[in-house]
Amino acid sequence: MLAAALAATNPYSLALGYLVLLLTAAAARLPWLRMMGLSLYAAVFTVLYIVSLRGGMLAHAVLIVKAITPALAVLMLIVSTPYPRIFSLLSAVLPEILAAGLFMTYRTLFILLDMMDNFVAAIRLRGGFSPGSLYKNSANISKGIGMLLVRAVERSSRLYAVMVVRGYSGSMAGQPPVKLHREDWLPLGTGMVILTLVILWR
Amino acid sequence: MTHMHIPDFVLPVWLWVSGFVVMAAALGFSLLRLRSMDKKKKIPLLGAISAAMIVVMSLEIFPIVYHINLSVVAGILLGPALGFVAAFIVNLMLALLGHGGVSVIGLNTILLGLEAVLGHTFFSLFRKVLPVFWRAAAATVLTFVSTTMLLIGIVAASNVDPLRFLHADEHRLVLQEGPVLISKFAILVLSFGVVGWIIEAAITGAVVKFISQVKPDLLSHKLHDGPDQGRERGKTGD
Repeated sequence: MLAAALAATNPYSLALGYLVLLLTAAAARLPWLRMMGLSLYAAVFTVLYIVSLRGGMLAHAVLIVKAITPALAVLMLIVSTPYPRIFSLLSAVLPEILAAGLFMTYRTLFILLDMMDNFVAAIRLRGGFSPGSLYKNSANISKGIGMLLVRAVERSSRLYAVMVVRGYSGSMAGQPPVKLHREDWLPLGTGMVILTLVILWR
Repeated sequence: MTHMHIPDFVLPVWLWVSGFVVMAAALGFSLLRLRSMDKKKKIPLLGAISAAMIVVMSLEIFPIVYHINLSVVAGILLGPALGFVAAFIVNLMLALLGHGGVSVIGLNTILLGLEAVLGHTFFSLFRKVLPVFWRAAAATVLTFVSTTMLLIGIVAASNVDPLRFLHADEHRLVLQEGPVLISKFAILVLSFGVVGWIIEAAITGAVVKFISQVKPDLLSHKLHDGPDQGRERGKTGD
């Protein structure tokens, strides 16, 4: 799909590819509506970019479709594939510290999101956010971010201690890359068909 | 400006491929610098700071709906080499979450990583000159000015011509030829950027000051330290 987005020179073929991806997501019972909404987020920045460009509607349409189609493809990957498998695949090409950093970041991310949600709720309940006061909001958010960082570092220290007890030696024991199964050929085949369509429809 | 929101495959192939090449070289250099570090301690810290960067990027400052970036703080806390690695991890995670193009990971990592490196450098340079808050704030402003100029340079170098994407076939399409209006783009970026620099500087200064008061040893990265390390720790005030 990324190759198709790179090769596309008109919006019709790639738009068809986008539609095929959506239909595939719907058929696989993935949250296709939410995925579509998230992929359209890329269109917002594309519009900001094309404001600086001169060109016709079709030129702008190509840029928008080139942005949202890879975004949808990546979202499909994330939604349908367990993250350890994705990171295991990446660890085959990335140095150990980067792969381990990715694992640790993913693991810590959701913990910190919860922490930040709780902090924001606490601040709101205590009247820490005012609609018109930039200074007050910034000051409170700064303290919250500082607290988040301090707690994140403390948590990482505790996590390190736990991992050492469990035999952590500096590398992450991920799953080895898995061979392709019969079910994997459907998404691969779909991508190849779209790429072929894009190349032929240049 | 921290993150290029330029979508996938809009920039010329040579530009984003060069971005990946430069990013790989910089990452390689950073990993070389880090080969003697205690991985077991630093990797959880790297994950924590990278995750915090992603979380904070989702926050908005009301009423202007500005999104914060912690690249300078990450550089101050992690150091330049580990800060650059954190920038790569953050950009890769954001791309995998559908935020930002996959093809611009290289260029975005260079921008964000440069902020971490420059933030650390300027923060260290002002060590004996300014109090903690103003050190961090000044470092942030100087860093963001530099990277915003780099961003404008990257977009100028791209010189995107919409006609390259389409067949200007007289039977099907009629397009106006036009390169990117760099002046318009630069004006947009700089005018919004100045507001962002001030806000980011204030927040970075406040965050670093908070850390220096609550957990000063976090700022004691070895590249900061000099013979007067003991007097530097816990120093507060505006």
